[in-house]
Amino acid sequence: MHIPDGFLSPPVWAALDITAMPALAIAARKARAEIDDSRIPLLGTLGAFVFAAQMVNFPVGFGTSAHLVGGALLVYALGPATASIVMTAILGIQALVFQDGGLLALGANVLNMAVAGVLAAWLPLALFQTPRRRMVPVFTGAVLSVVVSGFLAVSELLLSGVAIATSVLALSLALFIAAALIEGIITVAVIRAIERLQPSWVRDIPPRSSPALGAVAVAAIVLASAGVIVATAAPDGIQQLAQKTGIASRETAAISSPLRDYMLPAVGSAALGRAAAGLIGVILIFAVCILIGRRVARGRGAAAGGGV
Amino acid sequence: MIHRLDPRAKIAGAAFLLLGISLLHPVAIAPCALFAAWLAAILLLSRLPVGLILLRAAMVLPFSAVFGLAAWFAGDRARAISIAVKSYLSCLCVLVLVAATPLPALLRGLEWLRVPALLITVAQFLYRYLFIISEQAQHMIAAARCRGAHAGARRIRFQAAAGAVGVLFARSYNRAEGVQRAMAARGFSGRFPSARLARCGAADFIYASAAAVVAAAANLLASQPV
Repeated sequence: MHIPDGFLSPPVWAALDITAMPALAIAARKARAEIDDSRIPLLGTLGAFVFAAQMVNFPVGFGTSAHLVGGALLVYALGPATASIVMTAILGIQALVFQDGGLLALGANVLNMAVAGVLAAWLPLALFQTPRRRMVPVFTGAVLSVVVSGFLAVSELLLSGVAIATSVLALSLALFIAAALIEGIITVAVIRAIERLQPSWVRDIPPRSSPALGAVAVAAIVLASAGVIVATAAPDGIQQLAQKTGIASRETAAISSPLRDYMLPAVGSAALGRAAAGLIGVILIFAVCILIGRRVARGRGAAAGGGV
Repeated sequence: MIHRLDPRAKIAGAAFLLLGISLLHPVAIAPCALFAAWLAAILLLSRLPVGLILLRAAMVLPFSAVFGLAAWFAGDRARAISIAVKSYLSCLCVLVLVAATPLPALLRGLEWLRVPALLITVAQFLYRYLFIISEQAQHMIAAARCRGAHAGARRIRFQAAAGAVGVLFARSYNRAEGVQRAMAARGFSGRFPSARLARCGAADFIYASAAAVVAAAANLLASQPV
């Protein structure tokens, strides 16, 4: 889902644009390490492939058809950092040439799909690659990438003050989850087809065989993306938390003013406080899950007599 | 006339306009007329096909309509209208920028703005092969339809579609390998050599600052109680 311009409020898009820049710089540096320069044409053609693959319709029943989104497929073909550069190039071309997504909102779209979506697709693959059931992490990653991107986009719209009725919100979240499951099935089918043609085209990530860590990471991603939605849809609880912890001490004045929704700076600080509180909460949850997962995995490794 | 301006000036101008539109008060609709007037003037000056551009920009409207209607039924009519107007104007802004600037020049301008070089190179390759590979996909879809791809059990059709995407992937991959070898033979070192951008002239500065003035004026107008 590409957010056009005119939807996000200035503090939201500005914050996301500013966050996207260093993320992209890091991805570009890592991608330089992942691939050598002679492979750069491949990145372009695979980007073009993702566009073209979206024209192929997959029948999904109920008389409707779906198409591949392709983020997860890029991760498996190229590795995470490179995939995120290719996704960014796709989003940039879509925004410039096809008016699909806005320019000011490009940071938001890049973060949703090229950074968070790619990471969500890559984590299950990197963390619980098992030799026998290879397609399980592929499926999980593809599903998660769509769920995470979609949920982030919705929460950014909510943060910007776009009013969405609860029923519409629930419906759109359900649609996102359905679309994500379809993307998972399509990605698995396409990767199987590619492997029949030439197995070496899909990257083999060395198995790390720590399913516990993988499961916890997946749980963390799901919790985090659900948390973002809850935090933005029901900001009152978060706001109280923010006030207690002092993150939003400056916004108390703004909240007491009766016209707060019509005052740009006030909306800005409130939204920023909310966003900061939500983000910190999500990062905390994620860190705790990862730590627990590490501990579990290490305990197992020690019990088995091996190292980490 | 607009076409000959420096890409950096046009990027800056579009950025000012987008910024101005985005910063507008959600219920202020009247100042949008100022943006519309400016964009109309640029459109006429650049001799682009006006009707086509206006139509292309309308592509954003279905998306805005969904959220606009959601806001409308939530009782926030001013915001519903402003979402539609703002997204349409923003889209028009980008269209005018892209239609009057060749993509390589645009990307060169973005490179000057410190967008990572790898990203620019990938975008150039992507744009180069976008239409070729899309055409290939369309040929494959047509061929599959000729062989009866629309009939049969859903599972079979699904598998066929997956196979088609797999083959498309293989073709893209092989094409890249050919391109790689051909470009290596011609001394490609991972980055396109590009001409240095000319210095910005007076016209470039005037264009960018005029856009900034329009954006600022619209926002001043909006902040004034009517």
